[in-house]
Amino acid sequence: MSADLRTGKAGTAVGAGRPPGPAHRARIRRITAPWAYLLAAAALLALISVYPLAELVHLAFSSVGPTNLIGSWPWAGLANFRTALANPEFMQAVWVTAKLTVMLLVSDLVLGFVVASVLVSRSRSTSAVMSLMVFVWALPPLVSGSVWKFLLSSNGAVNSLLGLLGFRPLDFLASPTLALWSVGLVTCWSALPFATMVLRGGMLAVPRDLIEAAAIDGARYWKIQTRIVLPLVRPTMGVLAILAVIYSFQGFNFIYVMTEGGPGTATANVPFLAYQQAFTSFELSGGAAIALLALAFVLVLAVPYALSVRHEEHE
Amino acid sequence: MSKRGSRTGARVGTPPRVVSGIVKVILTVTYLVPLLWIVIEAFKSDNQSIAAPDALIFAPTLATFRTVIGTAAGSVLLSLVIAAIATVAVTVVGVPAAYALTRRTSPQWGRVIAVVLTILLILQMVPQPMTVIPLYGVLASWHLLGSVTGLVVADTALVLPFSILLLRPFALAVPKVLYEAAALDGASNAQVFIRIVIPLLRNGIATVASIVFIIVWGEFIYATNFLNEGSQLPVSALLAEQISIYSTNWNRLMALALLTSLPLLAVFLFAQRRLTAGLTLGAVR
Repeated sequence: MSADLRTGKAGTAVGAGRPPGPAHRARIRRITAPWAYLLAAAALLALISVYPLAELVHLAFSSVGPTNLIGSWPWAGLANFRTALANPEFMQAVWVTAKLTVMLLVSDLVLGFVVASVLVSRSRSTSAVMSLMVFVWALPPLVSGSVWKFLLSSNGAVNSLLGLLGFRPLDFLASPTLALWSVGLVTCWSALPFATMVLRGGMLAVPRDLIEAAAIDGARYWKIQTRIVLPLVRPTMGVLAILAVIYSFQGFNFIYVMTEGGPGTATANVPFLAYQQAFTSFELSGGAAIALLALAFVLVLAVPYALSVRHEEHE
Repeated sequence: MSKRGSRTGARVGTPPRVVSGIVKVILTVTYLVPLLWIVIEAFKSDNQSIAAPDALIFAPTLATFRTVIGTAAGSVLLSLVIAAIATVAVTVVGVPAAYALTRRTSPQWGRVIAVVLTILLILQMVPQPMTVIPLYGVLASWHLLGSVTGLVVADTALVLPFSILLLRPFALAVPKVLYEAAALDGASNAQVFIRIVIPLLRNGIATVASIVFIIVWGEFIYATNFLNEGSQLPVSALLAEQISIYSTNWNRLMALALLTSLPLLAVFLFAQRRLTAGLTLGAVR
């Protein structure tokens, strides 16, 4: 497939320069902008993606509960934001989000780099391991979350294993500190296949000559990986880091399945808190304000990401 | 790549065998054991599961699986319908859009492309939990709350931005010479799109359709909130619901998890090479 894409780019370069001769010009249709092909998608996105985001802002600045969801929304100004920021649960959720994000960043970048370095060389065992990981990546978080909930439960397999090794059983999902680690590690586990594949893609693009030259000079594999490959895949790692931060908001899924934010609020991250406010306490506006604060943070990261992707494309 | 490897000797640029072996074994264990555990538990009876949830030696039974299929068959069917409609909708709307976003026919259109791409990139990054709250309100005002139609609309909104972005590199790979040749022959935009773009995009469409199907199949946040209580739930939402109910009946929960995963296994086997290639290219972001 990568060959296809390269041919595409080569085709662009070849085809660009030659103006058609005058004899042909009469037969050439004027190529109009294909706006009609974008119309359906643009209309649909405006209606079901952009408009709801505008409504999120509207909700956050209004006072809406279950009774007036359909009806008039009284203006509330910044009241919802003030309530959210004064809520100790919000600050705790920010902390939880930060901790989960750091775990995911370390796992994606460090473990991802090591695993990708191992899986970059082709062999039958490599493709078997990659298939397994990509399959797990494709599984719904619900399925992987529920099996981990089972494995980590008080009488689950992990505790049985600890028992066999002579350790006390641990409350993986019931102790506040351990629950956060459990949710975080499962999130890392589910995100690692993606990180590995993306980094592996970056590594495959590193010119072979560089690696071969270093190997001929006597450099060992890990030295080549850290001194030559690592600097060259740094842009990929940058994109991956941004995606990891955003993905850590999706840790929501595992929180929902494994702990429901508990024990207490020990594992509720910001999106989960917003969700709880909106759908458990039915404070739709309160939830919207928290969601908007989280979204603002995501957008700060989305801009450099969008720019880097656009930049990549222009090269 | 393999040719080059054999020419220069397999040892150059390959990780040391011991480290590589250890890492692969660790990966296999951490990713395979949970999957095996789902299967093992699904073949235990209620009594076996309660007595010894982690027993590895037991008389396997299909009883649990049969019970779960009995209660979840309708949900599986509903999930298939929802995922199929969303996949078709996204393809029908997304493929023309991806094509439109690759043709820089004029500087003005080039600017439109840049703006739309930026919007898509940002939309794609909005975490799903952030969209549940406003979509709940929007669907309510459109009287689509509690209906499967509303859920399909929400699912489409969830995957459309990312699908267009994923399809676009495939559309970009269509050689420009083909467009010029078609223009010389007097072909219209529609002819170009149907005769050239769609056939060349088959691979991209298959990749995107598989991923959309996978995501919509596993989606449960919209499904649990936008459908009415007591109505038929898609299988993912059913699983989400049962996680709290069956907190001790692990065998039933795992049987349901297995049932939820089986159709995905089929999609995965169909799309594996494309998924792997897509992820390697970094196209799936």
